[in-house]
Amino acid sequence: MSGSLGTATTVRPPGSDSDLGERSAAQQRTKTPYEWPARAFSLPAVLLVALLLYLPFVWTTYISFTDYNGLGSPVWVGLSNYRDMVSDSVFLTAVGNTLLWVVGSITLPVALGLLIAVLTYGRRFGTLIRLPFLIPYAVSGVAVGVIWGFVLQTQGALGQVLEFLNLPGASTRWLLEGPLNTFIMIGAASWQIVGVNALLFVIGLQSIPREPVEAARLDGATGWTMFRCIVWPQMRALTTVVIGLSIVASLKTFDIVWIMTQGGPGRVSETLALTMYRETFVLSDYGQGAAIAVFLSVVTFAASIIYLRRQLSGRATS
Amino acid sequence: MSRVIRPGFLTLLGLIWLAPVYLLVANASKPAELYDPARVWAPLPDFALVDNMRDAWQKAQLGDSIPSSLLYSTIAPLTAVVLGAAIGFAIVALRLRHGFLWFVFTFGSTIFPLQMILMPLFIGYANTGLYDTRTGMYLVYTAISVPFAAFLMRNFFTGVSYSVFEAAVIDGASTWRIFWRIYLPLAKSALSAIFILQATFIWNDLLLGLTLSQSDDVRPIMPALTSLQSTYGGSALPTVLAGGLLVSLPTVALFLATQRLFARGLTLGQS
Repeated sequence: MSGSLGTATTVRPPGSDSDLGERSAAQQRTKTPYEWPARAFSLPAVLLVALLLYLPFVWTTYISFTDYNGLGSPVWVGLSNYRDMVSDSVFLTAVGNTLLWVVGSITLPVALGLLIAVLTYGRRFGTLIRLPFLIPYAVSGVAVGVIWGFVLQTQGALGQVLEFLNLPGASTRWLLEGPLNTFIMIGAASWQIVGVNALLFVIGLQSIPREPVEAARLDGATGWTMFRCIVWPQMRALTTVVIGLSIVASLKTFDIVWIMTQGGPGRVSETLALTMYRETFVLSDYGQGAAIAVFLSVVTFAASIIYLRRQLSGRATS
Repeated sequence: MSRVIRPGFLTLLGLIWLAPVYLLVANASKPAELYDPARVWAPLPDFALVDNMRDAWQKAQLGDSIPSSLLYSTIAPLTAVVLGAAIGFAIVALRLRHGFLWFVFTFGSTIFPLQMILMPLFIGYANTGLYDTRTGMYLVYTAISVPFAAFLMRNFFTGVSYSVFEAAVIDGASTWRIFWRIYLPLAKSALSAIFILQATFIWNDLLLGLTLSQSDDVRPIMPALTSLQSTYGGSALPTVLAGGLLVSLPTVALFLATQRLFARGLTLGQS
């Protein structure tokens, strides 16, 4: 697969690059006595992934070049599904919404998560204070969708609070107008994920060596200066991973939108994953759905490569 | 000054975060006939949470789905964790040839959006008799959990000194024994962290369950629950909320009980 090189960049954990290069070089020179056991140990995982994830992927790619409605056999139509796709206004809306999701997911939840981690780390009751932020992650997606639908319906829980406080906007139709509904759903999704980001950042904070922090403290660094000069540089590698994961996850946004608006009203809040699902399972236009799936995969792939390239090269020069 | 701002800010933020949880619990506890959409913030003295949960349980036939979901979300992540550890062990300790490429192959599959593989899986399952079977669900949940497990376990094992492996070899242990008796126990906390994450994911899965299963005793719990929202006329909101709360209890409990273990496991995974 042409893409495998790119993924190599994706998964290389920060810090272990050099050691890894040496090892794989040494590995290719000398044949270890454990070649057969090694193969046996890796076979089940590789087989399972190949059969249940790669094979369907190949099939979907093929279907994207055909006209197929699930019955009979697919008819080869070349690039026609892709041509239809880019000239469809719903597709363009979905691209726009998906971009909003990406930008929204790498700003709000990451920034808030970092803020919560920094403010609670090492304090008394830190773990306890972080609990409210972690609970939403464990609540099931279906329940999350139901609650937020109920908070955000026109004159729902949020409207009632605004009315009670005499604030404007009490009768805003939160979920019924685009792009407002997309912004609102990004907020709801952030509610669910912030705690996990905070937890990941706390883990990052734990791994910062004590000495430079103590030295800086003796030099009189506090608060913001301490964070900017000592803590933040050490957190960069982890931030890269958190943002990378957020990009990939946000490009695939589906559940929360499906439960809250089903992409509506009309199709104004559809994301690419939703458009693909609707084309395939609601409209039975498998070829068209497959084309969007392939487009989305290529974009996800490209985004992770570009992002990680920049991050890694940035780190090398600094 | 910051002595006031910091706790004040955290308290405010925490309250905002808890507000939807409060709404969930408060309204799930209201008797269906007394529920008033215009007064969702006010609690009612009548406490009907248990009745509502029982109602949701019966209407969505959760009794049939819970054993399946329990089965999937324990056995599938367990298998995935062991398989992920096995490939990590093969790459790091046994130095599988082109190990890094195999690793990339395994982890690279997480790039695909889930929706992309749904249709072919559905057709493939229909043709092989796996559709609407527990085996089929178990296989797909395992496959989906393997890449992440492989990723973290490979990372974890690179942190284990190679001399551990060499010493075991000198003692005459077989590779199988070294894996089960030395490497797996070493990785206990990383393994549990991955297990918890994947178990939560599988328990909460909606899409795969909707697509690949149908009958009451195979279908996992989330698709069963959504039937509450959509069945003709739908159920009263307190019932739906009570159902949502009920199915979230196991994962919330698991998370809260293992939060520290979880953090520790991931730390080790990154070293």
